[in-house]
Formats: sequence, C-alpha cells, structure tokens
Amino acid sequence: MRFLRPHTWAEALGAKAEFPDALPLMGGTDVMVDVNFGRARPNALLDLTAIPELRTWAPDGDALRVGAGVTYARLVSELADRLPALAAASRTVGSPQIRNRGTAGGNLGSASPAGDAHPPLLAGGAEVELESVRGARRVAVEEFFAGPKRSVLEPDELIAGFRARPATGPQYFAKVGTRNAMVIAVCSFALALRPGEGVGTGIGSAGPTPLRAYAAEEFLAGELADRWEKRDALPGPVIGEFAELVAGAARPIDDVRGTADYRAHVLRVLARRTLTWAWADHCEGGAGCA
Amino acid sequence: MTTDIERVTGTALDRVEGRDKVTGLARYAYEYPADDIAYVVPVPAAIARGTITGIDPGDALAVPGVLTVLSFRNAPPLAGNDPELRIFSSDRVSYRGQMVAAVVADTLEAAAEAARLVHVGYDAEPHDVLLRPDHPEAYVPEKVNPSFPAVSEQGDVEAALGDAAVTVDTTYTTPAYHNNAMEPHATLAVWSGDRLTAYDSNQGSSTARDMLAAAFGLEPGQVRVVSPHVGGGFGSKGTPRPQIVLAALAARAVGRPAKVALTRQHMFAVTGYRTPSIQRVRLGADASGRMTALAHEVEEQTSTLKEFAEQTAVPSRMMYAAPNRLTTHRVVALDVATPSWMRAPGECPGMYALESAMDELAVACGLDPIELRVRNEPEEDPESGLPWSSRNVVACLREGAAWFGWAGRDPAPGVRRDGRWLVGTGVAASTYPARRRPSEATARATADGRFTVRIAAADIGTGSRTALTQIAADALGVPPERVDVRIGDSALPTASLAGGSMGTASWGSAVAMACVRLRERLDGAGGEVPEDGIEARYDTADDIKADAAYARHAFGAQFAEVRVDPGTGEIRVPRLLGVFAAGRIINAKTARSQFIGGMTMGLAMALLEESVPDAEFGGFLNHDLAQYHVPANADVANIDARWIEEDDPHLNPMGSKGIGEIGIVGTAAAIGNAVHHATGVRFRDLPIRPDRVLDRAPQIGGRNL
Repeated sequence: MRFLRPHTWAEALGAKAEFPDALPLMGGTDVMVDVNFGRARPNALLDLTAIPELRTWAPDGDALRVGAGVTYARLVSELADRLPALAAASRTVGSPQIRNRGTAGGNLGSASPAGDAHPPLLAGGAEVELESVRGARRVAVEEFFAGPKRSVLEPDELIAGFRARPATGPQYFAKVGTRNAMVIAVCSFALALRPGEGVGTGIGSAGPTPLRAYAAEEFLAGELADRWEKRDALPGPVIGEFAELVAGAARPIDDVRGTADYRAHVLRVLARRTLTWAWADHCEGGAGCA
Repeated sequence: MTTDIERVTGTALDRVEGRDKVTGLARYAYEYPADDIAYVVPVPAAIARGTITGIDPGDALAVPGVLTVLSFRNAPPLAGNDPELRIFSSDRVSYRGQMVAAVVADTLEAAAEAARLVHVGYDAEPHDVLLRPDHPEAYVPEKVNPSFPAVSEQGDVEAALGDAAVTVDTTYTTPAYHNNAMEPHATLAVWSGDRLTAYDSNQGSSTARDMLAAAFGLEPGQVRVVSPHVGGGFGSKGTPRPQIVLAALAARAVGRPAKVALTRQHMFAVTGYRTPSIQRVRLGADASGRMTALAHEVEEQTSTLKEFAEQTAVPSRMMYAAPNRLTTHRVVALDVATPSWMRAPGECPGMYALESAMDELAVACGLDPIELRVRNEPEEDPESGLPWSSRNVVACLREGAAWFGWAGRDPAPGVRRDGRWLVGTGVAASTYPARRRPSEATARATADGRFTVRIAAADIGTGSRTALTQIAADALGVPPERVDVRIGDSALPTASLAGGSMGTASWGSAVAMACVRLRERLDGAGGEVPEDGIEARYDTADDIKADAAYARHAFGAQFAEVRVDPGTGEIRVPRLLGVFAAGRIINAKTARSQFIGGMTMGLAMALLEESVPDAEFGGFLNHDLAQYHVPANADVANIDARWIEEDDPHLNPMGSKGIGEIGIVGTAAAIGNAVHHATGVRFRDLPIRPDRVLDRAPQIGGRNL
C-alpha cells in the first residue's frame, strides 16, 4: 500500500490526479476502521492532515467557508453561534477523542446515510466544494450523495470544504440512538428556520442517503409565510402535517439498529419536537435569531 | 511483631499496582518480549455447519514472511477433554467462526494478509442457530453448571398453583450476551525443549497450566503460565480459550516463540458467551401474598461440540419460601459455539426472571414489592434445609428503601409525568453464592523486615492483589507497605480461578492462614527472622470441607428510577442504588467499583446488550463494540452502592463473601419493574429497546407527545 502525504493543497490535488484510487484520509475515524476491519483495501492512502489550509474557516461574502479538515470539536467550540445545528450534531459524534479527530469533511467523504453532520448541512442549505487539477466546483449537499456511502465525487476530486450561510433563525438537531453517547444514529433530523425566507430540513439514517424533506419544507414555508412577523402559536394540525410529511420523505429499512417502522415513527416525533422548539425560540426572538 | 496496628482490611487502600497500570509499566500478555517472535492469525470458519473439503494454503504461503499454515491437514493431534480446545482436530465445522486454520508469519501484517488468502472449501449442511420455544430437539441435561441437578421438585406445584388465591404465569426471554473484556484474549508461547511457557490473559494460571499440560501430553511441571495483569475476563477467561493452544501449537510448529491476539470480532465467535434463555415462571400465593408454589422452567442452548447448560433456575431453589417448588432446565444443541460462563451464570438471567415475576405477584396481590419479599423469607435454605450462614436480604431491602426514598411510593403504574417523560421506580432482590475452592499459599519473612506472599491467584482488574495485601498485612500484624503479594504465575502455589466470586475468599483463606502459621513460626523463633528467611505454607483443602454445613450466600437489593419517553421509546436511568450484605468488605474502594461495575452491566442487560444471531450464516451479526452496545458514561447517571456489614463466623478467616458478581444480579429486574411502574406495561423480553417500547405504545398513555 502506498502512503501519500502532501503538504500543500496543490500537491494533494496532483497526487489525487496521479493516483485516483488513493483513499483520502483526514481524521481516520471511518477510514482506519475500514482498513483495520479489512473492509477497505486501498492501493494508496492520501493523508490530508498536513495541509494547513484545510483546517481553516472564514466568512466569505454572506456565507461561511469551512475547510474539510475542521474537526467536530472546533465546530462546537468555534462555530456554535453561526452553525448551531451543525454544532449540536457535532456534539453527538463519538467520544471526545473522536471529535478531536473527526471532521465534517470526512463525514461527507464517507457519505454514510447515518453521518451526523449531514442533516444540519442539508437543513442549512450548504454546498460542498470539490476540487481537482481540472478545477473547482460547488455541489448542493442534497446533490452530493449518490447512494449508500457513495457521492458524486469524481475519482480525481477531493473535498476542499463546505459553504453554508450562518443561521438567521433557530436551528435544531435531534438524534435517537440506542445509548446516550458514542452511538450511530438510529435516525436523526435537523431543522433550520430562516425567518421571512423559508425552512430547511435534513433526515439522517432513514434512507439510502441523507435526505431533505422537500414537501415538508414547502408546506411549512407556506404556513409560516404570514406568521414570521406575527409570532403566534403554531396550530397543532400544522405541526402534525409537517411531521407526517417529514416521515413520508424517509425511505427507511430494518437493520440491526432499528426497524423501518420505528424510524418513521421517531422521525415524526423528532420533526414535531424540533419544530415546536424552534418556533418557540422564534416567538421569543430567542437565541437562534442572533 | 506488633498487634496494635490498625486493621487495614476494610479501608479504601489504593490498588497496589495502580501506578504501574496508569503509567503503562504493568505488562499484559501480548506485551511480553521474546526473541524472534512469530505471529499467528487464525482463519475463522465461514459456515455454521458442515465439512471442510479442502484447504489450499498456496496463496497464503506465497506471502513474503509466511512460515506455515496450520490446519487439520498438518496439525498434530491434541489431547485434553475440551473439544473447543482441540483445534484443527477434524474436518468438521460446528459453528461459524470456529478456527479452521491459522497462518504463522514473521510479522503480524503478513499473517493477517495471508489469513485472508487461505482458501477453505466447505461442504455446508443446513444449520440451526436459533433458540426458540418448544424446540423439538430440546432435552433435559444430566446436570447444569457446574454440577447441579437439572430438575428439582418439592411438593406438588401443579396442585398448589391450582389452589392458589393469586397466581402469576409469565414467560421472560433474555438474548445471548458476550463477555467483552477490554483486553482481548492473547498469548505468547515459548518452548524450551519440552518445557512450555505461556504469557497469557486468563482468570487462573494454575487452571491454564493444567489444561495446556493435558492438551500437549505434558506433566504440569513442564508448563508455566504467566499472567500478572489481566484486563478483565467476566468469565470468558475462566475456561482457557483456543488462542492459548494455538500459540503453543504454532510455536512448536515453527520452532520460535509465537504470539496470538484475537480480534474483537473473532472474540465473539471463540471466547464464550451467555446462552439466550426462555424462562417460564409460575408463582402461586395465598391472599396475604405468602407463596405456596414456585415453578421456574428454563429453555436454553448449548452446542453440538460439548454440553454447557447454564444453571438459570438455580436461584429459584433458595431465594424464597414456598412449600411446592419445581425448577427445570432443558437445552437444545445448536450449530453455535459452546456457551460458557459469563457474569454471574445462573443467578444473573435467573434472578431477572424470578424478580420480575415477584414484582408481577406484588401487583397481583396489591402488596408493596418489598413487603411481598419480606413475607416470603425462608427460615433456612428451602432446598437443603441447611441453616443460612447469614442472610440479610430484608435488611438490604429496608435500608435501601430508606436511602432510596421508597416510602410513600404510589404503586399505581403509568401515572407519573415530568414533561414528556413517564417516571417510575422499581426494586429487586439480589443474591450470589459465597463459595470457596481449595488453594495454597506461602508466606515468607525476610531479614529486611519484609514479607512475601505467594499464590497463583489472578487479578483481572478486580483489585484482588490489593485485597490479598490487606488480608496478609492484618494476618501478619504489619502495615501493608511491608508486604509483597506475588500472584498471576502458575509457578506459585496452586490456586483456584478468579471466577464464581470465589477468588478473594479462596485465596484470602490460604493467605491469611499461611500468614498466621508464619507468625506462629516467628513467635517460636523468638521473633527473630533468620538470615535466610522463614516461611510457612497453608493448603485450605481440608478447611473447605466444613463449608457444606451452612447455606452460604451474599444478598442484596437493587433500586432503580427510570424515565421513559413515550414518543421515542427511549429509557433513561437517572438513579440506581444497590445495597449489599456480603460479609466483611475487604477494600472499600475496589468493592465499590465491583458493585457499581456489576450494576452498570445490569443496566446494560436491561436496556442495551444483545448478541443478535445471524440466522442465515451462523455466528452473530453485531460482532463489534460499535454495534454491541455497553453503556457509555452518559447512560449511567447517579449510581450508588452501599453495604451492610455482616459478622458471619461461618465463612472464612476474613468473614467475607464474594462481591464480583452480585452487582449484576437483580439490576435488570429492578429496571424492568421500574419501567412497568412508569408505563403500566410489562416488558418481558430483554433488552427493553426503544422499538419494543413503541410496539406497545398504544398501551402507554400519551404516545403522540
């Protein structure tokens, strides 16, 4: 097995062009497990941890640009005010050791339907920055996933980072696992309210890829259109219909972690709860509206 | 010698090897060095039942650094009476994951790579790996672990049930569980002529030595097993496991020291597990709650290789008074690995069922569950008629009730809410036998004023080395700093296993008496230590014969508070309290760790742990720690263990009962009973998973919160 360790982004892109079957390695929290279990037997590993620019984030216009090497621990400590749902999801990833190593960029690279970063990135309307020696492109997160653990990443491309607008309203992430920490989601859900604009959703672990609940977003955006200013209580049937539409968007299966029925039911509950919490925050002009 | 020194037994002495462990100085089996080590990686069977039709080692042997490929084709036959350890002895495959070959190589990497390339051909046969009720092949074994009769009968249980004013007839199931010690099973084997040394992770070096000697046709004196530090066993290292045999076999085959460490995934196949169980419990009581009948009937699995029948119903033979009693075990031999000891075999699953049924009986009788248990206290052991050496389960229940705040508990189920959570509390009793096994120890005084105690005991993380240091210090009347305890080596005086919560009682008896003898010899020598030292030896074999005069058990009470989210089915356990009566506690710090560790395992049993059999291919589906869940810190909120000091003169020189396993006994029942109190629904299949809670959601108030 070849081990490649570029020190600049340009070298990394060059190496990926030369060795398209090289498996990119950042925190190693997925890749090394797969290697150790014999599930991945790459001809080459492309270690990206020596590239400083991947570890930075900065405002870029009205968005934030976050490098693929920013760890979950830093998403929590540095970006919780601007990307609250992503920070909340990051808090639920693994153990402190895993959060010190693992990155949202790596999560995207693995493209697991259970990746904790995906629902908040979907709800927040994030774009993934892909780059190769041929050039750079941006892909909306919902376009990025192509199937279970598959993405639209070309063989010569690397994930440079992602772009997302800072929250303009309340955001929530909720996850059900079989224990309180260090657990793969049985299912998860993220909700972002953008007052005056619309609503974002993201579903995890309840389909072949992370999913957006488009119909639920559209329905809720319509219901909220004249309520953003009024800030009055949301009628129960609105919350219920939203929850139904979220559950309807899922395509869950039975597996060792949970049944399809359980996932659909819990999605309904998580959708109802996150909407209730987020709307209450909005009505109070709460923390999420900074 | 001074006698006015404050006793060190009972204090919270720090672990004597604690600093070595936290600084990495403590050496575990796989870390032992040797020159020119060869590495061994086993090849697991890919089918659950059938015959090996061919083994093609060609591609494996072509990997640079590979020395040999061992299989039934070329491995020398092994002796010994455990078919799980007679590896490579035939072309039969009895379960998925069974070792069918192994690669020996210069490096671990080469061995692992080559193990993938050993091509094994199989003639697979249809297999059966699922325990299910009324299995047509189920039979009554001759005995259950270790040597109890499979069936016990007193009076006429059917008639008594028919006449009872109140009855409970209910069936509980528990899944398979895996021991999952932190340190994987590992061995470094070194031959020197016809002498074998094994650095090995086990629960008893004397036992491992005897097994190795039998397997290779050697005298025990030709074999030495060294295991000073062991990273947990939970029963899975009590019986030697195939890696120790494989290391010795490989070392002999290549004429070099050989190292084996099992992977976590392979541990799920070859290091034992607890059988799943199906347990029917029937209780009959009069109107006041006094039991007239108790029937506990168990179905469980064993393997086709050898019989292991867990003694699941055995606690129902002694726990409560009932003039009419029936306990039975039936096993079915499936195409699975042989189940074995795991964390309180018998008591753990059996008391889950019995203590859950007792809660159901309390509800049926309209009695507080503590009061029900008090009303059914037996004066003497109901099965043997022997007097109790001591029995303080009622004190544990009563004291625990006071500490937990049980008084004034509203028994009505499913009515307490805190926001979206349904809240409930539950209680269960706990018990574990207080046995001893023969052991030998020596105690030696040296002219420098120090003392050395030798015994082939094991410290698998429990703190036994520290406890033995305290026992020796008190028996000698010296501070513990002057005592060196040497354990974990079969070259030391022969000792029993760390298992069955017998370790400290068995070894401590030998250590205490050896130290008493040494003091007598020292006194006889006028208190002067001769230049070349002075030594005493003690063997407890004769003393232990007198143990049979009493029924000897530790007891306890477990209290749990749970919160159930009816929307998602999630269960939280904000409070757990265990109260134990286990004779004299030798070390307050390590004892507390043992108790709350066991209780945490009980919480895991109630809510998390479950080995899911793979019906299609055999073996287990969730064979790693990402999928086999034990609790994380965040799952264990407020957990407390307390104890009632007992003065029991019938036990041993320390007056102690074993505490390694009682912590897990009853905990799952206390949590299950609390879930019933919270929700009004009785869950009788463990673990109580969120999806199982939701399946019963229509019966739980407020599903759609």
